[in-house]
Amino acid sequence: MSLKEVSMLPWVEKYRPKSLDEVVGQEEVVSSLKNILHTKAVPHMLFAGPPGVGKTATAHAFARDLFGPNYIDDGYFLEINASDERGIQTIREKVKMFARQIPMGEYSFKILFLDESDQLTDDAQHAFRRVMEQFSVTCRFILAANYSNRIIEPIQSRCAVFRFKPLGKVHVIQYLKWISDNEGLEADDQAYEVIYDFSEGDMRKAINILQACASISRRIEEKTVYEVMGYVSRGEVRRILELALSGKFTDARDDVRRLLYVQGIMPSDLVSAIYRELFYIDLDEEDKLELLDLLGEVDYRISEGATPEVQLMAFLARLAAKKRA
Amino acid sequence: MTELWVEKYRPKRVAEVVGNRESVEAFTKWMKQWELGRLLEKKAVLLYGPAGVGKTSLVLAYGKEHGYDVVEVNASDWRDEARMKAIVGESSLQATLDGSTKKIILVDEVDGIAGREDAGGIAALNRIITEARVPIVLVANNPWDPKLASIREKCLMLEFRRLKKAEMMKRLKEIAEAEGIKVSDAVLEKLVERSEGDLRSAINDFQAITGGRKIVEEHALEALGSRNRVREIFDALRMIFNVKSIRAARAALEGLEVDLDIVYTWILDNTPEQIPDPMDLVDALEALAKADLILARVNKKQEWRLIRYAIPIMTGGVAIARRHKPSGFVKFSFPSRIRLLQSTSAERELRKSIAQKIAAKLHLSTSKALSQMLPYISFMVSNDSGMGEAIARFFEFTESELNYLRGGKAEEAQAHRRAGRRRRKG
Repeated sequence: MSLKEVSMLPWVEKYRPKSLDEVVGQEEVVSSLKNILHTKAVPHMLFAGPPGVGKTATAHAFARDLFGPNYIDDGYFLEINASDERGIQTIREKVKMFARQIPMGEYSFKILFLDESDQLTDDAQHAFRRVMEQFSVTCRFILAANYSNRIIEPIQSRCAVFRFKPLGKVHVIQYLKWISDNEGLEADDQAYEVIYDFSEGDMRKAINILQACASISRRIEEKTVYEVMGYVSRGEVRRILELALSGKFTDARDDVRRLLYVQGIMPSDLVSAIYRELFYIDLDEEDKLELLDLLGEVDYRISEGATPEVQLMAFLARLAAKKRA
Repeated sequence: MTELWVEKYRPKRVAEVVGNRESVEAFTKWMKQWELGRLLEKKAVLLYGPAGVGKTSLVLAYGKEHGYDVVEVNASDWRDEARMKAIVGESSLQATLDGSTKKIILVDEVDGIAGREDAGGIAALNRIITEARVPIVLVANNPWDPKLASIREKCLMLEFRRLKKAEMMKRLKEIAEAEGIKVSDAVLEKLVERSEGDLRSAINDFQAITGGRKIVEEHALEALGSRNRVREIFDALRMIFNVKSIRAARAALEGLEVDLDIVYTWILDNTPEQIPDPMDLVDALEALAKADLILARVNKKQEWRLIRYAIPIMTGGVAIARRHKPSGFVKFSFPSRIRLLQSTSAERELRKSIAQKIAAKLHLSTSKALSQMLPYISFMVSNDSGMGEAIARFFEFTESELNYLRGGKAEEAQAHRRAGRRRRKG
């Protein structure tokens, strides 16, 4: 790959922190991890926090600081995403393959990083707990999760739990400015503010927005950001709610199905997006309250295993029966 | 569910289409005229006739054989002109200017538009036929509604008749051979008789009585009773949506040899059309949602006895919610969910392969790659700043993946232009 191409990598990858020193906005976590590095007594760890605040990046940075820059090629570090490998059987196989051999060299253990571990079912978590025990001599586990309360107690109690904070505006904008300098972009303060608002403190999203802006112009203004976001978000959820509210139930239903089955959006993300839009929709406050109550029920039923599409249809039918305020 | 034979054995070439040779040849001839760029007397074609005799199959087979994308539009997509234009208008005007695949627009259930007093729909369809630059094929069971007169005038009318017994026998035997199933002519003859010239239902019946076995004997026919499988579902639906008690609604499923999941989907997808009143619909869908929850618990906890609550709730709940009926008869239709999944399988495959490539490079799950990265990457590769190409190389996207990612942008640009035109007009 030529130098020019390297500079073109997706920036979320290119500007991923290479060491703990480069991780932003997580001072407490970083200082504890540095202590661990110093003593070299690595416990099992659970990284909990919202998306895009640096959990995965920190795990990689930690491993690199500990094992050196070839931490992956040297066989010290393996990453598994629980959301893609829900079956405990595949995880067990992969862990076994990885942890069975004691590493050659300075360190007597490896690190296995299990991302999105809250996507594992309870049963799978219990099975995983046994795997953790079985291999704990040769393998330390780092688990990442959005919500630590979705991780069963027995796993939590075996882990040092690190809480990752949502990133503040200052941190996000500072990082974006640093990237802009590196890439030779000009962006005004207003643009950074708007990017931050859209990102909701999610650094991955913020960097993606910045790069998408840079793909149309080296000079980034507020309206550049709006152009990108107009394309990216496309207001699909808003449109679905509007269709339902206009009594076009089957149209709304078809769009929900497209989002779920064709675009592959996660049901929980769809419910969250509806939740966010609900406050701004053209309805009486009483009606909004009723729909919030129902959405809570929908959310809960989905977590119990009900079919997201069906539950959301019941919600849309209720919305379709409402009159605009 | 195993693959439906009616899909698996759909003809892949025009020559494989069973029966109705005259209309098949007339259609082929008409398409050839299109391809030669001749000015045609009739700008669209209307295939009409009873269900299951190969109207849609012919169009799909032609498309496959001659490299067309067949864009299917269903009657349920026709409620308003804006939507119809968005679907048919754009596809038909795009033509092959951008060098993309050739398209045939296939409009299903045209008689459905007339039934729904959708005057705007008919007018818009008329305009689109006039302006179209791609072949438009309409399909109907009964094209003789007076409201369709203006459309009939513009169309080459091709009739499809019930299939002959010998033709159907031949096809069923081919399927039996391909599936490695031993079955006597007597059994196949019964299937053919029962189907009254409807090959689709005969194939459906055949698959139903086979039930995965390799040898099918005559007594297997008893499972069908006196009707065919799909008709049984229709009968059950007719009961569910017309009785007044939970007990009677529950009875609709008795003796029905169809998976509960499938019956559920049929009820669910017919509910909005059968229950026009919004408040009734709220109650019906809440009942269906509750039944879904119970079925989820059954699956999760293996509490089979709970099924007895799901059945009366999903049938009776819908029955008693239907306090108001639609004005006029609304026919039951094949579940749109299944249709959606069938018609989007290529797109879903493509998205999955894109997501896997992104996930592998960026330490993400495929679902996060889809929701959090794909829209931005799609934007970046759509702009020709050099960045797009490098990113495409980085992820090792294939040509068709790249086209798909860029397609979103093109679609949006079109939407902008459309909105612009409307604003200028208004």
